Amino acid sequence: MNATGGTVRQKANFANIFSLRGATGPLIGLLLLCLFLTIATDSFFSLRNFLNILDQITVLGIMAVGMTFVILIGGIDLAVGSVLALSMMVLGYLNVTAGMPMAVAITGALVAAAMCGAISGLLITEFKVPAFIATLAMMSIARGLANMVTNGSQIIGFPPWFNLGAIIRHGGFLTTTVAVMLVVFVLGILYLRYRNGGRELYAIGGNPEVARLAGINVKRKTVFVYTLCSLLAGLAGILLAARLDSVQPSSGVAYELDAIAAVVIGGTSLSGGTGGVVGTLIGVLIIGVLRNGLNLLSVSPFLQAVIIGLVIALAVAAETFKHRGK
Amino acid sequence: MKIIKTALVATVAACALSASFSASAGEVKKIGLAVPNLQADFFNQIKLGVEGYAGKLGIEVIVVDAKNDTATQVSQVQDLLTQGIDAFIYIPAGAAAAAVPTRLARQAGIPVINVDRTPDGAPGDTFIGGEGVNSAYEVCNHIIGLANGKGKMAIIHGQKGTTPEVDRFGGCKRAIDENPGVELIAQQWSQQWSPDEGFSIAQNMLQANPDINLIFGQADGLAMGAAKAVDVAGMSDKVIIGGYDGDGAALEYLTKCEGPFVVTATQSTQSMGVLAVNSAIAVAHDASVPARQITDAVLTTCENAPGFASKHP
Repeated sequence: MNATGGTVRQKANFANIFSLRGATGPLIGLLLLCLFLTIATDSFFSLRNFLNILDQITVLGIMAVGMTFVILIGGIDLAVGSVLALSMMVLGYLNVTAGMPMAVAITGALVAAAMCGAISGLLITEFKVPAFIATLAMMSIARGLANMVTNGSQIIGFPPWFNLGAIIRHGGFLTTTVAVMLVVFVLGILYLRYRNGGRELYAIGGNPEVARLAGINVKRKTVFVYTLCSLLAGLAGILLAARLDSVQPSSGVAYELDAIAAVVIGGTSLSGGTGGVVGTLIGVLIIGVLRNGLNLLSVSPFLQAVIIGLVIALAVAAETFKHRGK
Repeated sequence: MKIIKTALVATVAACALSASFSASAGEVKKIGLAVPNLQADFFNQIKLGVEGYAGKLGIEVIVVDAKNDTATQVSQVQDLLTQGIDAFIYIPAGAAAAAVPTRLARQAGIPVINVDRTPDGAPGDTFIGGEGVNSAYEVCNHIIGLANGKGKMAIIHGQKGTTPEVDRFGGCKRAIDENPGVELIAQQWSQQWSPDEGFSIAQNMLQANPDINLIFGQADGLAMGAAKAVDVAGMSDKVIIGGYDGDGAALEYLTKCEGPFVVTATQSTQSMGVLAVNSAIAVAHDASVPARQITDAVLTTCENAPGFASKHP
């Protein structure tokens, strides 16, 4: 992946869009996992369960797309779980407590989320605060604000169609929330691969100084990426609110770690510059299938935690090992 | 690459062909139990009660632990339904007590038994809970009595807005109101009902109000954390602490009969588990079950703690 930022043009053919770019290892892992679960359980291999898994990864998937962008430029965003909670509470406050139409509430929630990201981005670029610290601070601030909206209580009472968006499967297949996730993934893939702006992210992740000298506005791009990541966390919050039909400020604790794990399992390097959204999709699916499968196998909750940890460690170790071999 | 892609497509297509649905009527062979958090001894005791009793009846129990996350719990309930459970025992996670799992189980047409909390607007076939108000009243009345009916009191609440938090505060408030010599001077909410929260909250309270002599922790974890903070502050001989739930660890503490934490209300968690299984079987056979089934908590001091510690009710 040696993007020179700017002049990369590729023929848009179908195979290329879904080519894996270094995510073959994770994909093989995913297929083996599916194969094992198909043999080990009666209930895993069915359309209904496959659709359940898609439902279950919606929130994580959308957050992980934003996280992929941030990690590609060599950054990290620890605030997404809290930003998700803040977005949910703003949505609930505007729609239920203040009685505004859902369109206004959704816009408000997304704006609140995006602002968190913009502030993190500015802290990182203008005040030279390390990304880890800037987003750690934002994690605390956004969580506090989310709690302040209702003084810690939950909000219920959304219009009925809102929850139905997460339940009714259009054409027997896609819920609205899953459809939104798929759109986000496709846009993410296309942006990274075919837009100059997307190619520039690889350049920044590879070497910010070289990228700057090549004429990329690194600062503006960085603020943009953190804003986008937060915006997507906010969108994930809205979908979570639809899924739960309620909002509470304690939602999304430690979700940032799941998102980071999914990105890393998908083959994106934490040091930036390599990886992509296709890998992240596979990473998200691995986490989703694993959790679903362990439940179906009736594995004890305590053992589940151990297994999930082992899989994360193994996936990343295997990837590192492969690179060292080259 | 081509082969892998083909395999993926084949997988998805085959998934589509083998859609399976569970149906159930009458016989209960498999029970799904959704628990908010097995780290909390209270829920772990209910789980043990359900598993122990169902095991005797030859019923399989599948337990899922949401780790206090509502979204995780919804996913887990979907997975339980995929496994074709015949009845669903639901202890909602988080304050929002999502109605969605109940709706999903209703769609699948299986009995829903709520334990400890009920989601707003989507009640199950029956609710099994511990009586909270009166028992909390008794605990607070007991510690106020030990302080001769006067003093400054602090309350460490559970997770704000949950049913037990609201009930236990209501009961304790009644005891405070009945004793004009007692003044409620500090209140703080915890997120997880956990000992470390109890410790730090109590420490801050004692820092701000050194004249506190009564503390009510709304769960034993909170009370034991507070007891530690009182020990550290060197105030063990002047502060009296009450707890709630009758956790294993708390019963052991009370059995030793030393330290500031002196009383709790022991919930009949094991029998709640048994009641839940029986209700599930009854509902599956279309027998009528009361909408609310309330078990009493027993006031527990160092006199009766040893009995409960060796055999939990």
